[in-house]
Amino acid sequence: MAPEPPLLSMSGITKSFPGVRALDGVDLDVQAGEVHCLLGQNGAGKSTLIKVLAGAHQPDTGTIRWRGEEVTLRSPIAAMRLGIATIYQELDLVEHLSVAENVHLGHEPTAAGFVVRGKAARSSTAQLLERLGHPEIDPARLVGDLSAAHQQIVSMARALSHDVRLIVMDEPSAALDPDEVDNLFRIVGDLTSAGVAVVYISHRLEEIRRIGDRVTVLKDGRAVAGGLPAKTTPTRDVVAMMTGRNVEYVFPERPTTDATAGKPLLEVRGLARHGEFEPLDLSVRPGEIVGLAGLVGSGRSEILETIYGARKPSAGHVLVDGRALRPGSVRAAVRAGLGLAPEERKAQALLMLESVTRNVSVSSMSRFSRGGWIDRAAELGAARAATRELSLRPDNPSVPVRTLSGGNQQKAVLARWLLRGCRVLLLDEPTRGVDVGARAELYAVVRRLADEGLAVLLVSSEVPEVLGLADRVLVLREGRVVHTAPARELDEHRVLDLVMEGSPAS
Amino acid sequence: MPELTSRRGLLFGTAAIGAGALLVGCTSNESDDEPAANDQPAADDKPGKAVTIGFAGPQADHGWLNAINDNAKSRAKKYSDVTLEITEGSNDTAAQIGQIETLINKKVDVLVVLPADGKALTQVGLKAMRAGIPVINLDRIFNTPQAYRCWIGGDNYGMGLNAGHYIGEKLKGKSNATVIELAGLDNLELTQQRTKGFDDALKNYPNIKKVARQAAEFTVESGQAKMAQLLQAQSKFDALWNHDDDQGVGALRAIEQAGRDDFLMVGGAGALSAFQAIKKDDGVLKATVLYPPTMAASAIDLARALGQSKGIGGMAEFEIPASVTLYSAVVDKDNVDQYMPTGFK
Amino acid sequence: MTQHASPPRDSTGKVPSAGAAPGWRGLMARADVRTLSLLGVLAALIVIGGITKPDEFLDTRNLQLVLTQGSVIGVVTVGMTFVIISGGIDLSVGAIVALASVWATTVATQEYGFAGILFTAVIVGVGCGLVNGVLIAYGAMVPFIATLAMLASARGLALQITDGKTQIVTVPSVLDLGERDAYVLGIPPLVMVFAVVTIIGWLVLNRTTFGRRSVAVGGNAEAARLAGIDVRRQRLYLYLLSGLCCGIAAFMLVILSGSGQNTNGNLYELDAIAAAIIGGTLLSGGRGTITGSVLGVLIFTTITNIFALNNLQSDVQQIAKGAIIVAAVLVQRRTASTT
Repeated sequence: MAPEPPLLSMSGITKSFPGVRALDGVDLDVQAGEVHCLLGQNGAGKSTLIKVLAGAHQPDTGTIRWRGEEVTLRSPIAAMRLGIATIYQELDLVEHLSVAENVHLGHEPTAAGFVVRGKAARSSTAQLLERLGHPEIDPARLVGDLSAAHQQIVSMARALSHDVRLIVMDEPSAALDPDEVDNLFRIVGDLTSAGVAVVYISHRLEEIRRIGDRVTVLKDGRAVAGGLPAKTTPTRDVVAMMTGRNVEYVFPERPTTDATAGKPLLEVRGLARHGEFEPLDLSVRPGEIVGLAGLVGSGRSEILETIYGARKPSAGHVLVDGRALRPGSVRAAVRAGLGLAPEERKAQALLMLESVTRNVSVSSMSRFSRGGWIDRAAELGAARAATRELSLRPDNPSVPVRTLSGGNQQKAVLARWLLRGCRVLLLDEPTRGVDVGARAELYAVVRRLADEGLAVLLVSSEVPEVLGLADRVLVLREGRVVHTAPARELDEHRVLDLVMEGSPAS
Repeated sequence: MPELTSRRGLLFGTAAIGAGALLVGCTSNESDDEPAANDQPAADDKPGKAVTIGFAGPQADHGWLNAINDNAKSRAKKYSDVTLEITEGSNDTAAQIGQIETLINKKVDVLVVLPADGKALTQVGLKAMRAGIPVINLDRIFNTPQAYRCWIGGDNYGMGLNAGHYIGEKLKGKSNATVIELAGLDNLELTQQRTKGFDDALKNYPNIKKVARQAAEFTVESGQAKMAQLLQAQSKFDALWNHDDDQGVGALRAIEQAGRDDFLMVGGAGALSAFQAIKKDDGVLKATVLYPPTMAASAIDLARALGQSKGIGGMAEFEIPASVTLYSAVVDKDNVDQYMPTGFK
Repeated sequence: MTQHASPPRDSTGKVPSAGAAPGWRGLMARADVRTLSLLGVLAALIVIGGITKPDEFLDTRNLQLVLTQGSVIGVVTVGMTFVIISGGIDLSVGAIVALASVWATTVATQEYGFAGILFTAVIVGVGCGLVNGVLIAYGAMVPFIATLAMLASARGLALQITDGKTQIVTVPSVLDLGERDAYVLGIPPLVMVFAVVTIIGWLVLNRTTFGRRSVAVGGNAEAARLAGIDVRRQRLYLYLLSGLCCGIAAFMLVILSGSGQNTNGNLYELDAIAAAIIGGTLLSGGRGTITGSVLGVLIFTTITNIFALNNLQSDVQQIAKGAIIVAAVLVQRRTASTT
């Protein structure tokens, strides 16, 4: 089929870290002009593989061939010189420099070897931005002032400012709105038609269907399938290869008894924050899961954080068991039995340098201490019981929390609140960064906690998740609840219509 | 804000008093000058022409520097014809330059400057001289004689020399005698000069060998720490010279803590606590070499004479000298009573 | 399945190591690599000292001297370690020591004798810590700025109190504590205070909720807040703790030097930060040990001692100190990355 050698050919790549074999003999072929998708659960080895490709990690064994010739990618600069550019998920831009300065960072156009020609840098940046469909971004603006989507565009412009032949994109659509995603796909199309290869990493199968040519699936550091046709391989097969099992019952069944009969545990009355969301009423009963559906910017996370006391409301009250909480006090909320699993787990919930035990026990320290003195055996025992109840893996709470996968880190956060004896659980994007197989398990955990009498308030940007998991759904648009209904009376289509259509009043 | 206004008020008040004194001086004292022995006018205690003296010194964070300020102030108070404009002390070169420029702008008659750093303040000294304000340079010398009319200061080399000679004479006849030195802040030139003088004096005594030297920082804390180490390093020695009586408080503490009394100690500068210990004569400290803070009082005298265009008594010249180097006298049990009033805390 | 594969656990939940490992080896295995590398550096220094000055260095009196000289800055470093672990910094420690020591040695204070001096030193230290803490925790000031301001004003106030004069202590019961007669079983009282502060510091950091909260605030302040920790109150307590350590250190310094002077505690802030850093405390917070910091202090004090015994001058000492900081951090990074 291929008369020429592939643009990139990695074979038998292994890479070990202390205690972990991250890559175990991975092969990857990429042809010029194709979109090669890389799929795999968190911890499957995707990140390590692209870091090897970017020259940031050196493989222990294995060979890399570039246009048929064996090469060693000693450093990111070496990879860049060959024409390999990487756009990381966590954008590596300098916030206090301008767009043009970021794009040309490290290879500024200069006069006499050291005087930066700002004007030249700005005009070439403007050309790149135009090519990327965003001529409205001013090359002179500071990157820190741009939206996440625009920052991504700048990151891409930086990659294209080099003479690239292969671009690695690590979950580029994660921070983007639907129309931004369309623009991204157009750019990918332009690149491939110009003969540039794209290695595309995403959790979203439908994206892979739309733009992918071939798929390589990674699992546990091995390539379980290489070069499958992206458009025709059945979804179920792909998921099965990633998770190693069939995913038929992704969502747990709802209980048959009607929870709406009970007295509300969490009540929100007229809660509002200027400029973020308008006065809101809602109630959650024990055993009930209430979902908030809405797009980015609809005020979902802000609502959750205000209920939790992390933001101070401009009006309204939060009541637990009929008693009003002191507004704007996290401690009051926690004391009343609220627990939050925030959207940004690493930044907002986890102590990354600490063990699972300490992450789990941090909100319940008074339970294992007398006069401030911690009974560490009791602490470990309780942490183990809580993590076992959620089947957290590995089954050793002494390991550092940073070594866990995304799903297990989320379980550590849930175990924290379980141990605290929390009665109202606020979940903000509970499956972000969690792979498909682990999601089902998390859904089951959440449902079980509700069955045990917890009131759960769920926020998610993935409509199927809200519909599948919640009992009742509130649809949000621009900080306002536009519709409330039992989940079984709604479908994805209807919710998307509600979320996107212009409000009748305007 | 109230602080600011009250402070401004205070300044106004001072200025008004100064102006008043000036008037009084002009009207009443012109004719009281008495001819000196050589028929030239020499400055004496009798009121003369009113003189405003600007005084700028470093921050008084050390006993000796504090004594400098006290000496200057009390000397100025003694003369009804002298108004002292004293600035807040500063160790920051830029701040001190600013203060001196303010004094120049106020058109004081004479400036007395003890620079935080002599070399760095040379320019502002030149500026004052060009503006017609004579400068008395106190102790830390400017880079060029053009920047001052008169320099008066201590003799760091002589201090070391006299300390060395005193110890040399005391250990005369003792074969294989050993001495150690506890120096001051090593990054100051004066410390190097003191050490040089000490070493040069010891060359006259072939029976004495300097076996160790550590530098402290003119503070009690560093004196204690460094002395404790020196005592541990040298299980036996005959004499110790400590550059500075302030750090000497710490050094004596370390000596006491180590329970050592088998040597003779000579201090430096002339602190009251050192004089008292010498007088008591129950410890190792037997003498101290002066670096007299009274030089500030002398500087006021010189400035007053300069402002009144007189020479100084006991000298034949019409003018005050261009430089005065003070003698670093050795104070021991025999003459300590005489120096006791000059001892600083 | 994994549950069956995991080894049995004892009651404390620790996985017993294979075979009956002797307690000593078990201890070494648990001690972290950084601590071991610091012990290695200290051992190397002791060898150097022993070779260059066998009689003077390997001597009980010298051991007493090194520990005594390290005890004042050591107590300050314990407090500083807590502050740095919590993601903060306290630049005012040296100035607080100066202010507390001069306030405690004024003529008026000395009239109240031993208790008056001790009480004043501790209260001044805690008071300055309180101001730092309130400014940082509730005034939302950056620790660097707030404690820099405290540095300037405490030094200024100390100068104002002393007027540049050395305040000699005349209370015999205070002075006696610095003399050899006060040694108990050969241990100087100041060293005992240092040891007690170290042990309490270790216990508080590793065994109490206060220690946990400090680490949590330093590791991720936002996560700590959302986990229900009162981050601001914790910060207040941390600067209070640092101030308390400064007050105790000031009293120790008064005993050691027999005086109070406004120049006391000169550059303690840098020495304490340096000792904590070479002890493995992360300047960005979230990680650090009392053991490491104390070893850092002992390493510095031992170097000073060896240099003084060998009659090397302060220029060489300063260069060596800088080199040691760089070397210790490099060695630690290396040992940490290879394991």
